[in-house]
Amino acid sequence: MVVHDLQRIRNVAIIAHVDHGKSTLADRFIQRCGGLSAREMSAQVLDSMDLERERGITIKAQSVSLSYKSAGGIEYQLNFIDTPGHVDFSYEVSRSLTACDGAILVVDASQGVEAQTVANCHTAVDLGLELLPVINKIDLPAADPQRVTAEIENIIGIDCSHAVFCSAKTGQGIDEVLEAIVKYMPSPVGNRRESLKALILDSWFDNYLGTVSLLRLFDGRLKARDRITMIASGRNYVVEQIGIFTPKRTKVTELRAGEVGYLIAGVKDVKGARVGDTVTSTDSPTTAPLEGFREISPRVFAGLFLVNSGEYESFREALERLSLNDASLHYEPETSEALGYGFRCGFLGMLHMEIIQERLEREYGIELITTAPTVAYEVVTMSGRRCMIDRPSQLPAPSEIKQVREPIVETRMLMPHEYVGTVITMCINKRGMQRDIRYLGRQVMLIFDLPLIEVVLDFFDKLKSVSRGYASLDFEFKEFRPADMCKLDFMINGDKVDSLSILIHRQQAQFRGRELVKRMRDLIPRQMFDVAVQAAVGSRIVARETIRAMRKNVTAKCYGGDVSRKRKLLEKQKKGKQKMKKIGSVEIPQEAFMAVLRVEAK
Amino acid sequence: MQRSTALSLYVHVPWCESKCPYCDFNSHALRGKLPERAYVDALLIDLDQHLPEVGHRPVNSIFMGGGTPSLLSPSAVATVLSGIRARLSWAPDIEVTLEANPSSSETHKFGAYRDAGVTRLSLGVQSFQDAQLARLGRIHTRQDALEAAQAARDSGFDNCNLDLMFGLPGQRIEHAIDDIETAIALRPTHLSCYQLTIEPHTPFHSQAPELPPDDDVWCMHRAIQLRLQQSGYAQYEVSAYAKDRRRSRHNMNYWRFGDYLGLGAGAHSKISYADRAIRFWKDKHPNDYLNHVATERRIAGRREVRGRELIFEFMLNALRLRDGFELPLFQRRTGQSIGRIIDMLDELKTAGLLYVDGSRINTTDRGYRFLDDVVERFLPSTSP
Repeated sequence: MVVHDLQRIRNVAIIAHVDHGKSTLADRFIQRCGGLSAREMSAQVLDSMDLERERGITIKAQSVSLSYKSAGGIEYQLNFIDTPGHVDFSYEVSRSLTACDGAILVVDASQGVEAQTVANCHTAVDLGLELLPVINKIDLPAADPQRVTAEIENIIGIDCSHAVFCSAKTGQGIDEVLEAIVKYMPSPVGNRRESLKALILDSWFDNYLGTVSLLRLFDGRLKARDRITMIASGRNYVVEQIGIFTPKRTKVTELRAGEVGYLIAGVKDVKGARVGDTVTSTDSPTTAPLEGFREISPRVFAGLFLVNSGEYESFREALERLSLNDASLHYEPETSEALGYGFRCGFLGMLHMEIIQERLEREYGIELITTAPTVAYEVVTMSGRRCMIDRPSQLPAPSEIKQVREPIVETRMLMPHEYVGTVITMCINKRGMQRDIRYLGRQVMLIFDLPLIEVVLDFFDKLKSVSRGYASLDFEFKEFRPADMCKLDFMINGDKVDSLSILIHRQQAQFRGRELVKRMRDLIPRQMFDVAVQAAVGSRIVARETIRAMRKNVTAKCYGGDVSRKRKLLEKQKKGKQKMKKIGSVEIPQEAFMAVLRVEAK
Repeated sequence: MQRSTALSLYVHVPWCESKCPYCDFNSHALRGKLPERAYVDALLIDLDQHLPEVGHRPVNSIFMGGGTPSLLSPSAVATVLSGIRARLSWAPDIEVTLEANPSSSETHKFGAYRDAGVTRLSLGVQSFQDAQLARLGRIHTRQDALEAAQAARDSGFDNCNLDLMFGLPGQRIEHAIDDIETAIALRPTHLSCYQLTIEPHTPFHSQAPELPPDDDVWCMHRAIQLRLQQSGYAQYEVSAYAKDRRRSRHNMNYWRFGDYLGLGAGAHSKISYADRAIRFWKDKHPNDYLNHVATERRIAGRREVRGRELIFEFMLNALRLRDGFELPLFQRRTGQSIGRIIDMLDELKTAGLLYVDGSRINTTDRGYRFLDDVVERFLPSTSP
């Protein structure tokens, strides 16, 4: 039934911006090729996690192998690989693209090109993939496929003469897309007699099967009971099961060079089968592993604390389970005098962080308080030692620090002309350095070097708001660059509260210190004595506010006959105090801590 | 153990001509005619059923509160008082207080109330600013209040209280000072000065008026204390000031955690036994009360207080007195040793909030200002 002839295989990536209809299009392909019965078709089967479906984005790469009979009556094996549509997962994107020979670029016929799409297309072009533009949503009243085609040529710089117009929603043009794929996409090359060489595109943990890895075979063949080696990790396994997704998981007896399928080999957790690693035969290993494996390290860090301290064990277990499936999630225990017990977690980016947070809350029912995200800094000590720190407490004593370097990202923003001025001003305020500006038809591409910390805090929201939602953003890590960072400490009546310290650029320390001290002043209730809230850099106080003592706290009227109301009042007062943390003799409500620790509400 | 000690009586009259927006007491706007006869009978029927329990205890004070007790005619008040006197023995110097509105329709009855046996009037003046009175929903004016105070004196009341409030919506410090000075000029024996408290389930709570800032309220409070002190009024309770030690005997009984029997709709009672106290309260609504009065059904609820709860309630009341309490009173009222709370007392003493010496416990100036924080320390950790 399934064709294995290399000439009749097409491995195709789907590149699209969030909301441009990638998943709906994939569903159409599955439907058209009979991959699932109508009953089995629930909307958007490729996005399998609830969260993905809700947010309409792809977090993990997914694949589907379909049998397609072309207009000329020839059977093809079409392997579609869905690529994650978010900057946090750009490494996964590049791995997914490596596995393909061509890619279809899905662009919304009314919205046009966005920055993330540009970045992914450039990666695809760099990897030598053939690109087929597909203009989707032509059924919308605002659709302007001609304009969008011109924009693709302008901004991305690819030939659009074969561009196909379709509507995944109505089904219009789907056949044409499939025909164009078999016609214009190249077939894979590979030698099936060579030693096994396969790329891991994705790995995930299944409660029943253990680790399942998605592979693209470049050379050789793979069968059950083969002995295999993961080249980067050096670990050996025995293949238990192989198969393809149709999109149902379907066992096969053999996978051959050029094909895409899954592998189950008793791998305990996903760290044993890292995305980007090369799988080869233990007995006759390939001499040329695939290039590009990178250990991806977290870039954004945050403390996750429990609202109910009693849930610590289940919190730890939940993180363990999530990390089985997510090699890029890092965590270690952290204790904060203000927030109690929790974990310091490392993430790929803000979306990754939000997703983990939501999964913990939704799937594991854990209520969380998340601190403001920070990034990892590189510190060079006087003795020339380099170390990475991701929280203020790790900062060596000032006398030992030679230099602190902060991560800089190259940021590409795409927006209509009228917003360029405001966006440039905003980037400069965020300590950005302009690298380039390109006028591309209706749109402008701005390229800035920005400190990652500025980007992770609230940059995206601000960019969207100053551009009325039109600007789009993509960034990638560039380098660590010396920065004048300092530790901003907070003191309450002279007692330093360690868990409130933040790392901040010296330029911003005073402003931020003032702002946060004011916010704390408003949130700390008046006490029986004056309370001083101070912000300091080293021994220098940069901001101070005083919470004047309460004048009195006594109920004026107490109807002697009925004490119950008075009692309720006192109980409420007592409960309120119990919820507060005591710093010295000052009672501080959690909101006051959160004012410093959490991202400010905009 | 207190079975032969004195008792106070509280008589509740649950009607007002109209409800004030800050008031959360059990009062009902009067629609139509007050069922005076039925209510007076009911009060005595209510009392009759308590006689087996308290009939042997002398009555030290009677307080007719409300609501607006002065809505009752002098003859009705006379019936109630003589009814009580026929059933219980009176202490020789008994204090009988009646709360009255300082409105012109009531001042002319003052003399007759005195003849009926009332020894002390308490006038709900609240403020001497007409605009403020209107905001508070009061039906009298500054002029009415001035005349009422004079009428009380003219009617032979040598013991008279004025109720004042401060921290009122839109009130300025000078308004509060004017109010207290006006009150002092009327030479009452007693002044009650309450800071306005916004109570739940009142119109002021659902539609909060703008109150003066805390610091202004504090200034008002200090100014009031100072002026009263200069004029010979001694503060003996959080909101109460008396000249020539003419404290409200009835209220002193509450603060010293004595026993009292409440008659009338919604009235609360507290009766002590060796190691516990029983609190109970009557049907709140006047109609329910009238319908149930002849039976146990008039009692809407009952609660037994003992142990730590009893200590908490004792402290809640006794520490409201500026002089606090003498140690033997604690043992007498709670049936427990002061040793049970020695840790808290020490802690509060160390914090500079409480004076504890061999014979007496009372708050320091600071502790008196933060009385709610002090009393909170005695709250039992688990609710009963």
